[in-house]
Amino acid sequence: MMPEVIAIHGLTVHAGCRCVLEVPHLVAEAGSILALLGPNGAGKTTLLRALLGIVTPTAGRVVVLGKNVGALRGTALAGLRRRMGYVPQLLPARSELPLTVREVVSIGRTARVGLLRPLSRGDWQVVDRWIEHLGLAPLAGRVFNEISGGEQRKTMLARAMAQEPELLLLDEPTANLDLGWRERLVATIQQLHAEARLTIMLVCHELEVLPPACRRVALLDSGRVVALGGPAEVFTNERVARLYGPGLRAWHQAGRHAVLPAEVAHD
Amino acid sequence: MIDLVFWAPVMAGGALAGASSGALGTFIVGMRIPFLGVCVAHAALAGAVFGGLCGLAGQTLLLPALGGAVLTALALGRLNPQRVRLDDNTVLSFLFSTTMGLAFIGIGLYGILGKSDNDVRSLLWGSLNFCRWRDVRWMFGAALALFVYIAVFFKELRAILFSRADAEAAGIRATAVWTGFLVLTAAALTVNFQTIGGLMIYSLISNPAAAAFQITRGCRPAMLLSAAFGAVSGLGGFLIAAVTDLPSGAVIVLVSSALILVAAAWARSRGRSACGVSQPVDGR
Repeated sequence: MMPEVIAIHGLTVHAGCRCVLEVPHLVAEAGSILALLGPNGAGKTTLLRALLGIVTPTAGRVVVLGKNVGALRGTALAGLRRRMGYVPQLLPARSELPLTVREVVSIGRTARVGLLRPLSRGDWQVVDRWIEHLGLAPLAGRVFNEISGGEQRKTMLARAMAQEPELLLLDEPTANLDLGWRERLVATIQQLHAEARLTIMLVCHELEVLPPACRRVALLDSGRVVALGGPAEVFTNERVARLYGPGLRAWHQAGRHAVLPAEVAHD
Repeated sequence: MIDLVFWAPVMAGGALAGASSGALGTFIVGMRIPFLGVCVAHAALAGAVFGGLCGLAGQTLLLPALGGAVLTALALGRLNPQRVRLDDNTVLSFLFSTTMGLAFIGIGLYGILGKSDNDVRSLLWGSLNFCRWRDVRWMFGAALALFVYIAVFFKELRAILFSRADAEAAGIRATAVWTGFLVLTAAALTVNFQTIGGLMIYSLISNPAAAAFQITRGCRPAMLLSAAFGAVSGLGGFLIAAVTDLPSGAVIVLVSSALILVAAAWARSRGRSACGVSQPVDGR
C-alpha cells in the first residue's frame, strides 16, 4: 500500500448558498494518476483549487502531502504550494511584458528557491533541462505570448516540472488543442509519470486524454463524485449513454479510452 | 546657450524621474494598470488637502500626500484577485473616484474656512524648471529604494507580471511582494509629482515601457531599456524645450510619445522576433 498524497474527508464547498462540491472521501496514492472527469460545472476545478488552498471549504479536511490545507496560512501554505506543480485551465495572458519561454519556465524555480535568493546557475540548469526535455529548446528565447497554444501548454508544464513537485495538478491540459498536440501532451504526461513516478491529478472532459498509466477515475457531476474506479469500470456503456446521450458507447483498448458513436465503437 | 550649472538640478531631476518612472512602467504597464499613476496622484492630492486643512503647509504637505498615496497602494496590493471578483483596473477606478471626491470636498472646505490652497496645488502640479538639488535628493532616495527593492525581488516580480494568481498558486508570496512594490511606487511617484507634475509622470510611466516592449524580449532587458528611454525623454525633452523655448513638460511628454512611434516603426520594419534585444545567455 503506497502512502496517500491526497486525502479528502467530508469536503464541502459553497459558493454563496449553493453547494458546489461535496466529496465524502477521496484519496490518491503516491505515484498514481487520478483523473477527475465530468461535465462543465461538475466541481473539478474547484476540487483542484481546494487542494491548493485557493478555495476555502465550508466543512471537511483536505490533507495534501501530509498537511491539512485548511489549517495552513501565509508562509506555511506557500511552502506546501511549492511542493505542488499546478498547470491551470486558462493560460495566463495577463502581462503585456514580452516574457520569454525560458523566463516563464524559470517561475517554477522562483517558487522553489524562495524569497531573497537569486536563481543560481544550478536553478537555470534545471530550467534548461526541462525546456530541453519537453522539446521547447528552439523556443526558449521566443516570447510566450507569440507561440502556439500547444507550445504554451508545454511551457506551463515545464514551469510546473521545474518546480520539482511531489504532486502535479493538471487542469484540462489539452483544452483547445488540436488532435496532434493533444496526443503529444498525453504522451508527455505518460512519460513524466513513468520517469518520475510522480503523483498526478488530472482534470479533463474527455476520456481520450487519459494516459495509459491512469488507473483510477473519479466521475463528478453537480459537485458530487458519482463513480470512482478504473476507467473501464466507471465509463460503462450504460453510464456513457446516460451522461452523453443514447447512441454513444465507451471504447477501451490498450490502456486508451474514448467515447464513440455506437456503430464505430462496435466495429 | 544653456547655463548648465543653473539648470543641472533640472536636468538631473528630469533624467532621474524619467529613469525611475520608466523602470516602474515596465511593471505597471506589464500588469496593465497604467492608470495607477493617475490614481496615486489623486490619493496624494487628497492626503495633501487634508494635511493642509490640519494646519500643515509647504514641504511638510509631502507627508500627508505620501500617506494618502501609500494607503491607496496598500488597498490595491492587499486585494487578492482570486478572492475579489474585480479586475485591478476596476479597483483603481474605485480608488481614483473615491480619492478624487475626497480631494474636491477638502478643496471646497478651504473656501468655506477661508484658507489658501496654493501650497496644495503647487505640490501636485509642480514644474520641472523649479527643481532644485533638494528635490533631486528626495527623488534619488525614492528611486534608490525602489531599485533596490526591484533588484532583491526581481524574480518574484517577474513571476507576478506573468500571472499573480499563478504565482500565488506556485507558492510565491505574490501579495506581499506586490504590495511592497506598490507602496514604494506610490512613494516614488508622490516625490516625483511635486517636482514634475502628474501628466508628465503618467506619460513617463506608460510611454517608455510601451516603447521598450516593442523591441525587447525578456523582463530585464525591457526594464533597462524602459529606464533608458525614460531618462532620454526627461533629459532630451528638457534640452529641446530649452533650445526652442517651449514648455519643458509638454516637450518631455511628446518626446516619450515619439519614442513609441519610433520603436514601433523600427520593430515593424525589421520584424520583432528577428531583431528583438534578447535575454543574456545565462538568462539572469
